[in-house]
Order: sequence, then structure tokens, then C-alpha cells
Amino acid sequence: MDIRRKLFLKRDPYSRGKDEGLFVRAVREQVKRNAAGSPEYAAILASRSFSPDELVSEEDLGRLPPLPTLFFKRNRIFSVPEKKLVVKAFSSGTKGARSEVGLDLSSLLYGIMMMFRLFSLHGVISPIPTNYIVVGYEPSKHSDMGAIKTAYGTTKFAPALHREYALRDTGTGYELNPDGVFRALMRYSRQPFPVRFVGFPAYMYFLAKSLKEKGISLKLPKRSMVLLGGGWKQFSGEEIDRGSFHKLIEETLGIKKERCLEFFSAVEHPHAYVRCPSGHFHIPSYTRVIIRDADTLEPVPEGTPGLLNFITPLVSSMPLASVLTDDIAVYGTSPCPCGNKAPYFDLLGRAGVGGIKTCAASAAEMAVKK
Amino acid sequence: MNLINGKLYDNDAALKALDELPALILEERKKPFLPPERVIAACGRLGRELGEEHLALLTGMGIREEKARRELEFAREMLSEEYLRERLAREGVSFDEASFVPFGQKSPVRQRLLPLGTLLHIAAGNVDALPVFSVLEGLLTGNVNILKLPRDDGGLSVTILLKLMEYEPAIRGRVFVFDFPSENIDALKKTAAVADAVIVWGGDEAVTAVRRLASPDTRIIEWGHRLSFAYVSGFVTDEALSGLAYNILDTDQLYCSSCQGVFVDTEDENELPYFAERFADILEKKAEEAGFSHDLFIRAQKTLELYTDGLEAEKTGARIIKKRLVSVTVIRDSELAPSHMFGNPWVKPLPRSLVPDALIKHKGRLQTAALLCPESERAELEALLASCGLTRITDGARMSETYCGLPHDGEMPLMRYVRIVSFD
Repeated sequence: MDIRRKLFLKRDPYSRGKDEGLFVRAVREQVKRNAAGSPEYAAILASRSFSPDELVSEEDLGRLPPLPTLFFKRNRIFSVPEKKLVVKAFSSGTKGARSEVGLDLSSLLYGIMMMFRLFSLHGVISPIPTNYIVVGYEPSKHSDMGAIKTAYGTTKFAPALHREYALRDTGTGYELNPDGVFRALMRYSRQPFPVRFVGFPAYMYFLAKSLKEKGISLKLPKRSMVLLGGGWKQFSGEEIDRGSFHKLIEETLGIKKERCLEFFSAVEHPHAYVRCPSGHFHIPSYTRVIIRDADTLEPVPEGTPGLLNFITPLVSSMPLASVLTDDIAVYGTSPCPCGNKAPYFDLLGRAGVGGIKTCAASAAEMAVKK
Repeated sequence: MNLINGKLYDNDAALKALDELPALILEERKKPFLPPERVIAACGRLGRELGEEHLALLTGMGIREEKARRELEFAREMLSEEYLRERLAREGVSFDEASFVPFGQKSPVRQRLLPLGTLLHIAAGNVDALPVFSVLEGLLTGNVNILKLPRDDGGLSVTILLKLMEYEPAIRGRVFVFDFPSENIDALKKTAAVADAVIVWGGDEAVTAVRRLASPDTRIIEWGHRLSFAYVSGFVTDEALSGLAYNILDTDQLYCSSCQGVFVDTEDENELPYFAERFADILEKKAEEAGFSHDLFIRAQKTLELYTDGLEAEKTGARIIKKRLVSVTVIRDSELAPSHMFGNPWVKPLPRSLVPDALIKHKGRLQTAALLCPESERAELEALLASCGLTRITDGARMSETYCGLPHDGEMPLMRYVRIVSFD
């Protein structure tokens, strides 16, 4: 039996309960499988003198050489023949550097089961027909960004009556659709069905802000929700604090902050983390988080900021067991006022050059004139 | 912050005022142009007023104190009357009329320089108060100026320009500042439509965007991104390498003139690791002495990049020499490329016979080469590098140091902001 079945079918996503080494065993098996299927990955492990058999206890997970998201942006690496990949997604990278991630059937199925458990717990799965406003892109033939698939996937958690997109597909590109969104919202507000807003926080903010400017204050049906994922990076100058954001949403749409969920995810790490009311991303039992020193990449103790490293045994089609993101985070285990006992991480920002020193996004763009 | 006729406007009011811009500029253009001497006097006064209290402005932008002091001292010098007069002279800008009898003719003709008219400055980034210096160049050449502020300008440009307007009130009608985002194409087009020339500083994206929005009757003056490097031939002293290390650390390899890496004149790849090890030691020592440090976010990014290079080394053959504060990466190809910056140069082989093959294809991208070689070889290598498109050849320590009258990317910038009128 696939050891993942036991792990990903756990009833309570946040309880590690009696793990009895299940997680580490699952990772060890997956790393072995990935290495057997990918000579390149096997060579990387060997060059770091690492053998999967070293993975015995949770402490050993830090020794598994992580692959940075940057590595996936520059290299295609699969551990199964490509014809076995049933779904592919790309990160929304700039400058043409994008990660390509492919899942085989078993990874996809376990992933769906896990998401089902997690999202049920957070009240996201519902049988009630729902109207959607996607504050993001419409799926199209000409784009395969992971963010589009995630947003569209999210509209499957409650049966969709109608979907309206803030960025509409024109066949060759995208155009802003403020009038369409506004008309749909007005129509939805007269119907008895819940309304869900799905997509990027920045677009959600602009939508709520424009409603406020128009003096509109709706009272959407009580099961309505806001489900957001992805950063604020495009509009960093506009970032407002979460308190004001939630207040704005309640004022304009009548959705309380408990019904606004913010997710963290990455194309290279197909899991979801939900931000609790205290602002922490609690870690489900399906994954582990290691924070690594910004200079040495050694694991750092709780409370010390460093690079965010995710461990998961989910994916058999690619070496995604240990993925090093370019997010800076801290790890915490202290009791959270939200009541969730699982450890958590807090995001502090992204590795790189802050806006104050340069406007350019990429390193090559950074050379300033002198 | 937006500035129109010397008054501050918020963003909404400024966007509305854009429709009045053609009329405002027309009024100003009906007046005689502002003579450089009056701009020079205002700059001189501004320079003299720069003192200790302005140091915090620079250190607040993340510049090390020692460097901030040097930059402040340099700004004082660059704004001085003597410097600016010398600069106009060196760049050949004089508004005096000249007369001569043309070849084969009998009557004399007169020629004189006049301002281009109206300049739109689009400056990327706020480093080194670049937006203000671009506007100053426009003022010195008698032009009316529109400045589109870069994002995160932080108010520095407007603060300096308000001071200049206080010292020389005629500048109020000759500098307009707008703070709309670059995504506002409509606003950009409106400002470009009234300009005789658009001056754009920045990367390919900025340059391409301006080319797209400016109409064919508008001249585009591009100060695009360039790449600079060092060329090492034969035995070089520790002192020469130390100068190169100074440039790498002092500029964080961020400027167009910063050394991205070192080409070594060799056909024997085995020489490279020895050189790289030696250079890495010198670079690290210099970094320790200079108190070289960056915040967690930058360090984390560099660590990720080097770690990823390491994972790929099996495939690429790159060799990374990582020290505590800096790194040097030996790469086998001879491609000119940006480094990871922040103290992480590359070392590549480039025998002199292949220099044209490696460089000429980078047309429009080459700027400074630090030439480190024995004296006996200098003339030959200088000529070789210059013939491939480099616009400055100097030593390591001077790569990003400027001097009064230094051409910019092979041109005299002030001459591009004027036109020659013939009266005959």
C-alpha cells in the first residue's frame, strides 16, 4: 500500500497525533522513488553525499538537500515519463523564467483528497450553489499559469452558478472587466445564493475600494466568502493592513472577517496554508517547515528569520520533497489565540532587493546608470 | 508629490492639470530661455548648503556612512559654479553665436546653439538623485522640463527642485513634476506629446515602452543599461586587483559602470581557478575591511542563487568559490553577462584573439572596461577593447569614478539637449 494513503487521508489535517515516524517514512520513500526516476536528482543527492536512508527521524529532514524554486525555474526535472503527467502548471515568473510542475495521477489524487479534508475543515467545501467573482484571470488556451488553475479550481469547492472574471480572456490576452464584475455583483446581490470572491488580494482590495468610492454597501447572503491567495507584490505601494482590509470588505460586501480566508501556496509546493485570524499560517500534518539561515542554509531555531523550506511526501512525479522558496519566514510553536495547536510560520517578505533601493524587479534590470 | 508652476499638487489634481500642460508650456516657451548662468548660480547655492544634516537622507536610503559622505562631497563639487561652467565648456555647449564664411561661398553665416525646447525625463530608480540630475542637465541647456518621477522616489526630487525654485524663481515655470505610475499610459502619452524629446533612463522595458508611446515627431534620447567588466592579461599586482575589488564592493556591482566579472586573457582554462582563488581572497579581505554587509533579504537571495548554481554545477561545469562575504564563480564560457551582483563577480576565459567575437555582438550594451595588464601591453589592448565598442577604458578602482567632462556612453549628454540653428 502506498504509504501516502495513510498520511493524506488523516481525518484532522492539523493533528499530528501518533505519527510514529509515518511522515519521515513517507518522505524517505518518495525521495527514493524520485531519485530512482531521475538520474539528475540522484546525482544531486550524491554530490551532497546524501543517502535517503539517512532519513530516520524528523530531525533528519533538515539534511535532505532542498531544491530551490529558482532551480525549477531554470531546469525541467521529472522522475516519471512525461506521458504519465496528468496535470501541468507553470509559475507566474517574470522574464520568462517559470517553473514547470507536473503531477502524475497518484500525486493528484492524494493532493485532491488532502485539499478536501483541509478545505472542509475551513468551511470551504459546500453543496450550496454559489455565484463567483474571480478577482483574477479567466482560464484560457493561451495561458497556463498555476495561479489561474488554482483560482478556477477554487470555484469547484461549491457548485458554480455563474463565474465572472476581473480579467477577461480576449482570445490573445487579457482585459480588465470592471463593468462586467460590477453588473454581476449587483445581479448576485439580488439572488438568495452565496457569493464567493476568489483570487488575488490586491484585486480584491481594488474591487472593494471602488465599491466604497461609489458609495455602495451590499449585504451579501450570509454564507458568502472571500478566498484569496498570492501576494500583494504587484501593488506593494497600495498594501494596507489586514484590519482595514477586512473592515473595507465588511462595509462594502457585508462579509465578516471570519469568512475571509487567505491562502499561501506555491506551484512548486502543491499544498495550501490558511492564514488564521492571528495572521499565522498553521502547518498541516501533511507537511513540515524548516527555516534556513540566509547565509549558510543551515536550519535555524524557532523565532529566527530565514528562508522558508517546505517538506512533503506528496509528489511522486517530481523531486518536490524538499523545496526551498525565496520567502523569508519565521517558525513558531507558541500557543496561538486562534486555538489551532499546530506549529505555524509567519511570512516576513521575499528574498531580494527591496523597493527602496531600486524600482526594477529583476537583477539584470537593477544596474542603474552612472 | 507633483509640482506645477512651483506649487505642490496631489495625484488626482495633477492628473486633471495634465490637460492644461500644453498651454502652460506654450506660455513658458514664449519667454526667452533661462540663461545657464542663472541655473548655475542656483545650483552653486544649493551645493554650498549641503551639509552634515543631509547625510541622514543618504544613509536612510541604505548607503553606508563613509560612502554617503563621499557622495555628499561629490554632489557639492558637481553643483559648484566652477564645475558646471567647466562642464558646459568641456561638452562644447555655449550659447554664443559663431560666424564664418562657408567653403566656396562669399557671405558669412551665423550659427548658434539653442535649447531643444521641452524635455520629458523618465528616470528609473532614485539612486544618486538621478531624476534631479537629469532635470538639471535639461535646465543647464535652457530647456523646459517635465519629470515623471520613478516609483518610490520618496520626495527627494521634489525637495531639491523646490529649493532650486526658491533660489531662482524663474525655474518654477520651467520644471513640471508628475508622480503618476508608469502603467498610466494615457498620462505618459500626454506628457510625451508636448515634449520635443523624451529622455529615458533605465532597462530594456522602460526604453521599449517609451519607443512605443512617443510619436514619430518626438526625439527619444536613451540612456539604457550597459555592462562593464575587467580584462586581465599577464601578471597583475595585488594592488591592481584590490582596486577592482574596491569597485565591486563600493558599487555592489549595480551601476552600468560596475565590474560584473573578469575576463582573463588565456587559452588555458586551468589557469582560471588559480586566478579566481587569488582574487576571491583579495575580495574577501577588502570586504572585511570595508564592513561589507547587506540585509537579510539580499543575502538570502544571493545564497539561493549561488546554491542553485552549485546544484547545476555538474551540468554547467561552473566552480563557485564561496567566501563568508563574497564569492567568485569560474565559468567556462566567454559570454559577457550580468553577475549576481552584491560582491559576486564571475571569472571567464577570453584570449585576446577572441575579444572581438565575444564583445562586438553586444552592440549598444558595452560601457567600461578596467584594463589590468603590464604597461608594455597596454596600448595594444586599449586599442583592441576600444575597437569593439567600449566607451571607457580605465583601471579597476576608477571604473565608477567620474570626472568633469567625462563622456556618457560615448556621448556628451548636454549636446544632445540642444540644437544648432543656422542664420544665413
